[in-house]
Amino acid sequence: MSASSAARPSSAAPASAARLGVDPHRDLSDYDPEADLMVLNMGPQHPSTHGVFRLKLHLDGETIVRAVPYVGYLHRGVEKLLEELTFVQATPIVDKNDYVSPMTNEQAINMAFEALLGIEVPRRARYMRTLFAEMQRIASHLLWLSTFGIDMGGALGGGTTLFMHCFREREWILDLFELVTGARFHYNTHTIGGNRHDIPAGWAKQVHTTLDLIASRIDEYLELSTTNSIFVARTRGVGILPKELALELGITGPILRASGVDHDLRRDAPFHAYDEIEVKVQTEPDGDCLSRALVRVREMKESIRLSKLLVDGIPEGPICGARPIKNPTQFKAKEGQAYVALETPRGELGTYVIGGGKNKAASPYRLKIRPPSLHALSALPYLLPGHSISDTVVILGSLDPIMGEADR
Amino acid sequence: MPTPEEFRALLEDDFGVSEWSEKQPPLIEAVDHHRLAEVLKERGYTLYVFVVASHRPGVEGAEDALTAAGYIELATGLRSPTENSQLAIWRVRVGLDEQLATLVDLFAGADWQEREQFDLVGVRFAGHPDPRRLMLPEDWEGHPLRRDYAINTPHPPWR
Amino acid sequence: MAVDESDRNYEHPLYSMPGLSVAATSVDKLLTWGATNSLWVFAMATSCCGIELMATAASRVDADRMGTIIRGTPRQCDVMVVAGTITVKMAPRVLKLWEQMPEPKWCIAMGSCAISGDFYRDIYSVIPGIDTAIPVDVYIPGCPPNPEQLMAGLIRLQEKVRAVRGGEWAPKDERPETEAMQKTAPSIPRLLSAERSPDVTLAQLLGAGNLGLGGALNRAADAPPLAAPQETSDAITTQAPTETSEGAVESPSEDEHADA
Ligand code: SF4
Repeated sequence: MSASSAARPSSAAPASAARLGVDPHRDLSDYDPEADLMVLNMGPQHPSTHGVFRLKLHLDGETIVRAVPYVGYLHRGVEKLLEELTFVQATPIVDKNDYVSPMTNEQAINMAFEALLGIEVPRRARYMRTLFAEMQRIASHLLWLSTFGIDMGGALGGGTTLFMHCFREREWILDLFELVTGARFHYNTHTIGGNRHDIPAGWAKQVHTTLDLIASRIDEYLELSTTNSIFVARTRGVGILPKELALELGITGPILRASGVDHDLRRDAPFHAYDEIEVKVQTEPDGDCLSRALVRVREMKESIRLSKLLVDGIPEGPICGARPIKNPTQFKAKEGQAYVALETPRGELGTYVIGGGKNKAASPYRLKIRPPSLHALSALPYLLPGHSISDTVVILGSLDPIMGEADR
Repeated sequence: MPTPEEFRALLEDDFGVSEWSEKQPPLIEAVDHHRLAEVLKERGYTLYVFVVASHRPGVEGAEDALTAAGYIELATGLRSPTENSQLAIWRVRVGLDEQLATLVDLFAGADWQEREQFDLVGVRFAGHPDPRRLMLPEDWEGHPLRRDYAINTPHPPWR
Repeated sequence: MAVDESDRNYEHPLYSMPGLSVAATSVDKLLTWGATNSLWVFAMATSCCGIELMATAASRVDADRMGTIIRGTPRQCDVMVVAGTITVKMAPRVLKLWEQMPEPKWCIAMGSCAISGDFYRDIYSVIPGIDTAIPVDVYIPGCPPNPEQLMAGLIRLQEKVRAVRGGEWAPKDERPETEAMQKTAPSIPRLLSAERSPDVTLAQLLGAGNLGLGGALNRAADAPPLAAPQETSDAITTQAPTETSEGAVESPSEDEHADA
């Protein structure tokens, strides 16, 4: 087989530019020389870049003509590290990838390993995992809303109202997780074949109390956001992401749904307990920052509804289906490949795992995590040109990137 | 709405795939990589999902020339954003110093993903508009996810 | 190689009162009090520990009450809190930002990553602890440290600032145990901690927490919105939910799996 003959003429960039309207690799040498372009560097340490992310902006006055993002400032070599460790040891490592929703990280990697190793998860554990994922979605979207408030009001200047309020609610959910797992975040509670920690006595009642309280607050935030003329003026019509572009870029989750694509893995490719409950998928047609905000806020309400259903519906039974884990090399996969994806607060978090690695096949040979945040960030060169520099932070914030996951 | 049967029939009829395994995605010729992506995009697989490259070092005495010299195996995934959310995954194999056609002209998202795989695994894409590293600094030497790259490679003066 | 604390010149006039190094006058005391209680933080928040740093600044823990405010620019700050993993690509930037901070300046290494690199220590792209690059005053272990622990670390730093400015900072070997060194983390009550009845907390929070927008909570005053929901869904096919949630379940698997 000769792959070199597969080389195609390097006409890729102009073709996609014609299709998408924006050329992300635009060469500015043909730009009006009178315009006196300025280059502005944002990051990698900037209070509103949501982590260590760098953006090089070419400006014509206040208007952005080209944006070049740089990632990798948090590249921690997780994929290499997981090749060294065994399947059992992987869970606490992936907690740190998407550090705003660790529960879904653990769930994703363990689901991939279970698919590769052919291990069943008992029904109780499936319900608990789903419940934790939904509650984590609320916490994650609350954190997004709080930082979006800061983005809107100037970094750490005004605009801290939402920050203070949303963090209060987020703490309540962390409290609930702390009662189950003993940790505020980075829980290490999922394991191959089920969960490690059972829910304590009286926990379900506390979940109901807390979620009721949060639900009433979220109504207020929705009202606060949509009736605030500054909020609406700064988000409506800003950073419009067309449907076709979003699909091509591999953008998933709330951002895709805000662009009018009715796609949610919880409903379309149900995993764990989602095939027993009905998820109402929230969509918005416009694809601007306001749509993304509205979709996330409504998703919080939907997650509250689902969490309450799930916490009442948790069946009896064991919480772990595999044999008790006695040593880290217990599970072995000599060959085989598996790709498992699930819907996290940021979109499709996939894990591609190839068996037959080190430690006598108790480690993955290669493990790739498909980060929704990285795909979301790759939309910036398309979204930013034409906007003024003050919209940069709003657009970036509306994409909700987590650099730990994007860079891994 | 795309279905798994349709995908299977497509690969068997047009791309000469005869071996199917529960545990491995279908393997096609590297020359067909771009064509398959094009056909699938027309058939509704419009959501770009992932590309993953893995390095297989050469095995001495292997009969197959590719296995003897070592190769890179790429798996690509596309999804249809429809009710059944159908996922299509296929694999290709390329030699260590060969190039594979880029998918950037079909899927804009392939831009960063292919840069990342080039950066970490060292697979080269022909016709990529921006073939730079993504994660590591531009002056980095080597590709960390290759088998022969030690995990604790020092990088003075920092580590 | 760690940067030794002895590299730092505490004799420098900036670390004590300029021109008044002889005795601690009342002016000096006043200035020391001011410096101790207004440690402005530059948040070098690269990853997960940064979220806990934000939580410390947010409503429950409220680091502002110690005069600790997070500022966006290094030029206004006294303390750099390194919260998160520092990679080879990031390290030169951290150093640059550290150099932009005006003297006197301090550094807190928050979390295992900033202290030693955590489990990423051996990875090609991660630097094994921020003290390979800049001198660290307070180390706060944890992955991530709780906000309480960060508060405790800030209190420890205040102690150090006070001692250094007062000329009482002894060499490393002769340093006496101070009271603050024995202190554990301040206790910050949890919403659902065992001592508090959830009903009391709920009532308190309802009274205090609304934005005052006249939102759904207030509007629905006639239909108490916080009553325990009775609705059950057809979609859920299980029965006997209440017994489960009230915790009559024995969990034999708990101990078996805990040692994994
Ligand atoms: S110490 Fe743990 S929580 Fe903190 S940055 Fe490192 S991995 Fe994240």
